[in-house]
Amino acid sequence: CHNELDQFPIDPDSFTEEDVFSTADEAKGALTKLYASLALTGQQGPAGDADIDGVDEGFSQYSRMLYNLNELTTDHAVVGWGDPGLPNLHGMSWSASNDFTEAMYYRLAQEVSFCNSFIANAEALSNDSEVLSFIAEARFLRAFAYYNLIDMYANVPLTTIVSTELPEQSNRAEIFSFIENELLEIQDLLKESGSNEYGRVDKVAAWALLSRLYLNAEVWTGENRLDDCIVYSTNVINSTYQINTNDANGNGSAYDELFLADNDTNGAQNEFIFALNFDGLQSKTYGGTTFLVHASIGGTMAASNFGVNGGWAGLRTTKALVSKFDNAITATDGDGHPTDWADSRAMFYTDGQNYEIETIANTFEDGYAVTKFKNIDSEGNQGSDAGGDFVDTDLPIIRLAEIYLNYAEATAKGANGGDLNLAVSYINALRERAYGNTSGNISAGSLTPAFVLDERSRELYWEGQRRTDLIRYGQFTTADYLWPFKGNSRDGISVEDFKNLFPLPNNIIVTNPNLTQNKGY
Amino acid sequence: QQTVRGVVTEASSGLPLPGVNVIVKGTTTGTTTDFDGNYEIEAENGSILQFSYIGFQTIEKPVTEETLNVALQEDTQQLDEVVVIGYGTVKKEDATGAVDMVTSKDFNQGPVTSAQQLISGKVAGVSVTSGSGAPGEGQNIVIRGLGSLTLSNSPLIVVDGIPLDNGGVGGSRNPLNLINPNDIESMVVLKDASATSIYGSRAANGVIMITTKKGKDGEFKFNYSGSTVVYSPIDDINVLSPSEFRNLVTETGSDDAIARMSNSATDWQDQIYTNAVGFEHSFSALGNAFGVPMRASLGYSDHDGILKSDNFNRTTASLNLTPSLFDDHLKIELNARGMYTENTFANRGAIGSSIAFDPTKPVFDQNAPDKFNNYSGWYVTDSETGDVIQNNLAPTNPVALLKLQDDNAEVRRFIGNAKVDYKLHFFPDLTATVNMGYDISNSNGRTVVSENMPSSQEDWNGSLFRYSNNSRNRLFDAYLTYQKEVNDHSFNFVTGYSYQDFRYDDDNYNSELEEDGNPDFIQIGRSKNVLLSYFGRFNYGFQDKYLLTATLRADASSKLNPDDRWGYFPSVALAWNIQNEDFLMASKVVDELKLRIGYGEVGNVNGLGDYNFLTRYTGSQSTANYQFGSTFYQTYRPEPINENLRWEVGKTFNAGIDFSLFQRRIYGSINAYIKETQDLISNTTIDPFTNFGNIIPANIGDMENKGFEVALNWNAIRNDHFKWTISYNIAVNDNEITNLPDQQFVGGISGGVGNTIQTHIEGEAPFSFLVYEQVYDDAGKPLEGVYVDRNDDGIINDNDRYIYKDPYADIFMGLNTNLTYKDWDLAIITRANFGNYMYDNVASSTSYLARLTENNILTNLHADYLATGFSTITETNLQSDHYVKDASFFKVDNITLGYTLKNALPNASIRLYGSAQNILTVSDYNGIDPEISGGIDNNFYPRPRSFVFGVNLDF
Repeated sequence: CHNELDQFPIDPDSFTEEDVFSTADEAKGALTKLYASLALTGQQGPAGDADIDGVDEGFSQYSRMLYNLNELTTDHAVVGWGDPGLPNLHGMSWSASNDFTEAMYYRLAQEVSFCNSFIANAEALSNDSEVLSFIAEARFLRAFAYYNLIDMYANVPLTTIVSTELPEQSNRAEIFSFIENELLEIQDLLKESGSNEYGRVDKVAAWALLSRLYLNAEVWTGENRLDDCIVYSTNVINSTYQINTNDANGNGSAYDELFLADNDTNGAQNEFIFALNFDGLQSKTYGGTTFLVHASIGGTMAASNFGVNGGWAGLRTTKALVSKFDNAITATDGDGHPTDWADSRAMFYTDGQNYEIETIANTFEDGYAVTKFKNIDSEGNQGSDAGGDFVDTDLPIIRLAEIYLNYAEATAKGANGGDLNLAVSYINALRERAYGNTSGNISAGSLTPAFVLDERSRELYWEGQRRTDLIRYGQFTTADYLWPFKGNSRDGISVEDFKNLFPLPNNIIVTNPNLTQNKGY
Repeated sequence: QQTVRGVVTEASSGLPLPGVNVIVKGTTTGTTTDFDGNYEIEAENGSILQFSYIGFQTIEKPVTEETLNVALQEDTQQLDEVVVIGYGTVKKEDATGAVDMVTSKDFNQGPVTSAQQLISGKVAGVSVTSGSGAPGEGQNIVIRGLGSLTLSNSPLIVVDGIPLDNGGVGGSRNPLNLINPNDIESMVVLKDASATSIYGSRAANGVIMITTKKGKDGEFKFNYSGSTVVYSPIDDINVLSPSEFRNLVTETGSDDAIARMSNSATDWQDQIYTNAVGFEHSFSALGNAFGVPMRASLGYSDHDGILKSDNFNRTTASLNLTPSLFDDHLKIELNARGMYTENTFANRGAIGSSIAFDPTKPVFDQNAPDKFNNYSGWYVTDSETGDVIQNNLAPTNPVALLKLQDDNAEVRRFIGNAKVDYKLHFFPDLTATVNMGYDISNSNGRTVVSENMPSSQEDWNGSLFRYSNNSRNRLFDAYLTYQKEVNDHSFNFVTGYSYQDFRYDDDNYNSELEEDGNPDFIQIGRSKNVLLSYFGRFNYGFQDKYLLTATLRADASSKLNPDDRWGYFPSVALAWNIQNEDFLMASKVVDELKLRIGYGEVGNVNGLGDYNFLTRYTGSQSTANYQFGSTFYQTYRPEPINENLRWEVGKTFNAGIDFSLFQRRIYGSINAYIKETQDLISNTTIDPFTNFGNIIPANIGDMENKGFEVALNWNAIRNDHFKWTISYNIAVNDNEITNLPDQQFVGGISGGVGNTIQTHIEGEAPFSFLVYEQVYDDAGKPLEGVYVDRNDDGIINDNDRYIYKDPYADIFMGLNTNLTYKDWDLAIITRANFGNYMYDNVASSTSYLARLTENNILTNLHADYLATGFSTITETNLQSDHYVKDASFFKVDNITLGYTLKNALPNASIRLYGSAQNILTVSDYNGIDPEISGGIDNNFYPRPRSFVFGVNLDF
C-alpha cells in the first residue's frame, strides 16, 4: 500500500503535461493561456486563483500595469487612489520595492516561462501544421514580453528554457538582438496577413513589433535603425489591415469605435494587429478595459453613458495632454478653459472638472476626466454583463494607426526610404478620421519629429506608449518637458535620469545573486 | 456465617452507589450493590469486606454487625493516574514527557459549545482564543508559541485515537463542534516533542488527546444537563456620536456636504447588535445493556448571536459500546458520533458598515426607493437614464445588510471508530490492537442576497451563491503492545503501522437569484492526500525510580516528492522519580518529586497544498476563458512547482519537574523548553524566469521558541465541609526567526489595497509590526505625516520603518479557584496576557477628515480622529506606530456558583448553577477587545458577556 503515497490530481480542472499536449486541440488551451495571461489575471475570473501572488489580483493585469507604468508616470494621467506605490508613479519616486514595477516584472517573466514551456512541449506535436503556427505565436508572445522587459527594465535574464537554475543577467543589446532575430525568423512561420482567428497574431504582428523595436533601437542599443523601421512599417501598412473608417454609431467619427464594446466586430478589428480580448461574462478581470472604463468615471459623470454600474473615481488627465488639442478648440468655459474640440480624439469630460490640478490624492475634481473607453456598443447598448461590472471592450496593443505614426516619425527623423509625402498622407488619414473632414490636415512642412510626438499623444493616449515615446525624445526625466506634478511638484521638475529605467524587484535581486540592480536604485 | 446488609453511598453527595463490588477479602465470594446501593453478602464475623468501585477509593471494613453501611470517597488521585498518550496509556507516575491532563470535573462551565473552551486558562503554555464572539465560533489553540510561518500552527486533535483532520469544511464554524462537550471525559495536552513525536509529522504544534466518556458496568445512570444563556453586547467601537458628527460636518464641510446631512441621530451599532439567548440540553445514559457496557448521549444547542440574525443550532448524538469477550482477552470499543448543525451566518459586512454609516440618517427613509425597501442610503440618479441606484463608493445601510442577506448552511459530520484489543491467549503479555476510524463531513450552504438590497445596478435581481463541501478521512492503525514486569524492571514496547487518507470535494455555484437551477458559474475543487506511518515506542522502568522512553516514527506524506517524503522523527526522554529513593521514602513533606528531561523531533506539512512537486496544469473557470475568433476556450496554466519540498522539522528539548508536597496539599510542575523549527516551509519569492509563478512554498528558514511554564495547585483548605483550591499557571515564551534569507511582508490591513503591517525578518518575532515612528507635538498630538527619519538620510521612505513589538504575548497566566462549602460550590477563572500588541486597523483606516465628506457622501469617523486630527489616509499614516497599542490584559473569564440538592428527589442529585462569562477585562487597549488572534483589530465580531442558568440532574 506504499503505492497509495503516489497521489495525482483528481480535480477535473487539473491536468498533467501529457493531457495538455496530447493533441493539437488540447495544446490550443495552453496557447490560449499565453494570450490570456496578458489579458486576465488568473484561472477563476475576475479574481481568485491568481497567476501572480503577493499583489492585489486586479493590479496584476498586464495592460493595467502597462497603463500604470507607461501612462501614469507621464503627462497623460494622474490617479487619486492612495494604494501603496501608486502615488509614487506620477510622482516619479518609485523604489525598488514598488508593487507595480515589481508585479509587471513578475507578469512578464512568467509570460516568458509560460512561452518557453509551451514551445518545448509543443515541439512533440510539430507534425501538425496548426501547431507550427502555435509555436510561432508563442515565440511572438515571448518576444513581445522581452520587448516590454527591455523597455522597462533593460537588464533581465534571457532564458529560453524553464529551469530552476538561477539565470545570468543579460543586457539590452543582447535582448534586442534576440527579439529581432526571433521576429525575423517567425515572420515566415506565422500565418498570412488576416488569415488567423481574431485574437491571434499573424506575421503582420511580427513586422509591427519590429517597427516598434527599430524605432526605439537608438535608445536601447545606441544604433540608429530607423531605416529598418521604414521597411517593416511599410510591410505592415501594405498588409490586409485597414484603418477603421466605419462610423458605426454615426456620431461623425470613426475613431471612438476603436474603444467600444463591439470593437471586435464594428470594423475596428481590421485595425487591430494585436489586441487583448475581454468579455463581461467569460473573460472577467479587474484590469484591462474594465479598469480603464470604471476608473475613469467619477464626479458628475453618468456611469450608464459608459455601460457600467458605477465609477471608481480614480483616473484623470493633466492639462499637458488637453493642451495638445489646443488647435482644435471650439468652445471654452467662463475661465477660458476648453470644453469642446473639433478633433474627436479629444475625449474629455469637463463638467465639474478643473482644468488645473491642485490636488491629486483623494479627489476626482482636479484634472479633466477621459471618456475614451466605453462598454457600450455601436448601437448604444451596454456590454454583455447585465450587472455592469465587467467590460466587453477589447484593448488594442498594436494597431495600424501606431505604425502610420512610426513611419511618419522615422521619416521626419530622416530615415532612408521614408517618403515624406506618404508620411503626411498617413498622418492626414488619422486626422481626417479624427476631424471627420480635412480641416485638420497638415502639410509636409509641419511634419517635424516634435509634431509626430504630439500627434502620437493625440492618437494613442492611454494606450500604454507614452513613457517609451517621451524617453525616445529625451523628455521623460529631463527639464526639456515638464508637466503638472512631474517629480511630485505642482508645475513639474526634472528627475534623475536613472528613472528612465524601472528597478528590478528588490525581492528578485535578493533571490538571484547573479543580478545587479539597475543604476540608481 | 451471617448475612451482612448495608447501603453504599457516595461520600460527597450521599447518594447510593449502584454497581459497587463487595467481596470478602481472601475469598472468591462477592456481590455488587443494586440500584439503590444495597448489598447483601454472607460473611463470617471478623472477616473483612472490601468495597471497590471505579473512580473511588477502595475501602476495607471488618464485619462486626449485621448492618454495614459505607461511604466511598471519590478518588481524584486515581483518576489522574492513568494518562492517555499516543497508542496507549501511561501511569502519570511513569510519564516522562510534558503532559497535562484536565478531567471533566475541572472543565470550564457555562455556554461551552466547543471542546477547546473547556481548557481555556487551565493549562500552562496553552493559549485558547476564540475567533470572534459568534456562537459556536472556532477556537484558535496555540501551544508554546508559533512553530511555523505559513503552515498550520494548530495542535493535532485526537479523539479516541482518531487524529482529526485539522481543516474545517465550508459552512462550519468550528470542526470541533462535532463533539458535545458533555461527552468529554478528559483532555490531555502533550506539549513537548518527547511526548508528541509518536504522532510524528502532525504533532509539530502539540497534541490534544480527547477521551470521551465510556460505558460502565452496572445499573444504568442517567444525566440531564440543561442551561439557558443570555448574551449581551459589552462595548461599541468608539465612533463619533451623531452630535459630534453633525458638528464636525458643519465646521469643516462644504455647503454641499452640510446640505447632505439628514435629521436623525442613529447609533448604527445599536441597530445591529442585540441581546441574544441560547439553550443547551444534553442527556446521557450509561450502564450495562445486554452485558455490554454502553453510553449514549443526545445533545441539542441553539444559540443566537449578538449580531442580529446570527444563529447556531446543533444536534449531536453519540453511542459508545465497550464489550469484552473471552475473559477480557478481547476488548472492543465502538464509538459512533454524529452531528447536525444549522448555521445562520449574519452578514459581518454590517460591522464595518455600522462604523461608517452616516449617523444623521434614519434606518428607513420614506424618500428612499421602494425597490430598496426604503432603507436609507446614498442614492444617486443617473443623469442619463433617470435610474435611482446606490452610489457604489458608499457603504450599504447596515440593517439592510443584515436583513436582506440570508446566509446559512447545514453541516453533517460523523465519526465512527472500532478499536479491538486482543490479549493473546498463549502470550498474555502481548496485546494486538486494531483501530479503524472514519470521519466524514458534508456541508451545504447558500448565500442569498435579496433583489431589494441597495445596489448600484438598476435591474439587479439579487444573487445566489451555493456550495457543498465534503471531506472524508479514513484511518487504519494496527499495533502490538508488549508489557512485562520482571523483578525491578518494567518494559513496555509498542510498534505499529498507521494509514490515513484525506479527501476533499468542494463545489461552488454562482447564479442569479431566480435561476437556481441554472448556475452561470461552477467551481469544483477536489484533492486527496495520504499519510502512511510506522512507529515504535519503548518504555523501560527500573524500581519505579528511573524511567526511559524512546520513540521513533517514520511518516510518509503524499504531499512530498518520493525522494523526500519519508521523515524519521525520533525522541528520547528520561525521568527520575526521586520520591521513590530511600532518602525520600519516609518523607512527610514530599509525596512526589520527579525530574524529567527529553528531546524529540517532529515534522510538519500540515496546511501545505497537495501535489506541489508535480508538473500540473490548471484549467480556467468559465469566467476566465479566452476568446479566439468567436469561441471562448478554456485555458491551461502550468502551476508553480517545487520538486524539493522537505519536511519542516521541529526539535524540542524539554526539562521539567513534577512535585507534590504535604499529601498533595501543594502540587504542580515546572517545564523549560527550547524548540528549534528547521527547514521552515514558507511562501517565498522566486524569479518567475525560473518557474511558473513568483511565490512557492519552500523550506527557507529556521525559528526558535524558548520559554518556561509553571503550574501550581494549592489545596488551601480541605476538610469535610469546606474545600478551597487555588490553581495558578504561568508561561513565558520567546519566539524568534533565527534564519530567513529574505524579509517577508505579511498582515494585510484595510485602507487602500495591498498594505501590510507585519513582517517576518531574521532576528525578530514572526508577525512583528513594521511601522513608521510617529512624531508628536508637545501636547502629545501626533503630527500628520511626520515620522522619525530613522536612517538619517533626509527622506522618509520604506527604509525608515522599524520593528515595533509583535502580537504574541510574552507572558500568559491563568489563576483559577474552586471553593466548596457543604452543598455550595464556586469557581472563578481568570487569565492575563502581557506583552501582546495590537494594531488598531479600525482607528487607522477610519479616522481621517477627508473620509467625512469624500465621494459625495457622508461617512462617520472613528473617534481617534479627535486625538489625531489627521486629514487624509496615506500608506504612511496607516503604518504609523500610533496605531500599535499595548494589548496586555487581565480577564475574569468565568464565575460559576452552584448548589447541589442531595435529597430533593429519591435516588437523584440535582445541581443548580448560575454562571457569568467574559465578566471583566482590564486593559489599556482602547479597541473593542485586546484579545484578537493575529494582532490586527478590524471588523471584529465582539465577544458578548453571557449569563447562564443551568441544571444538572443525575439519576
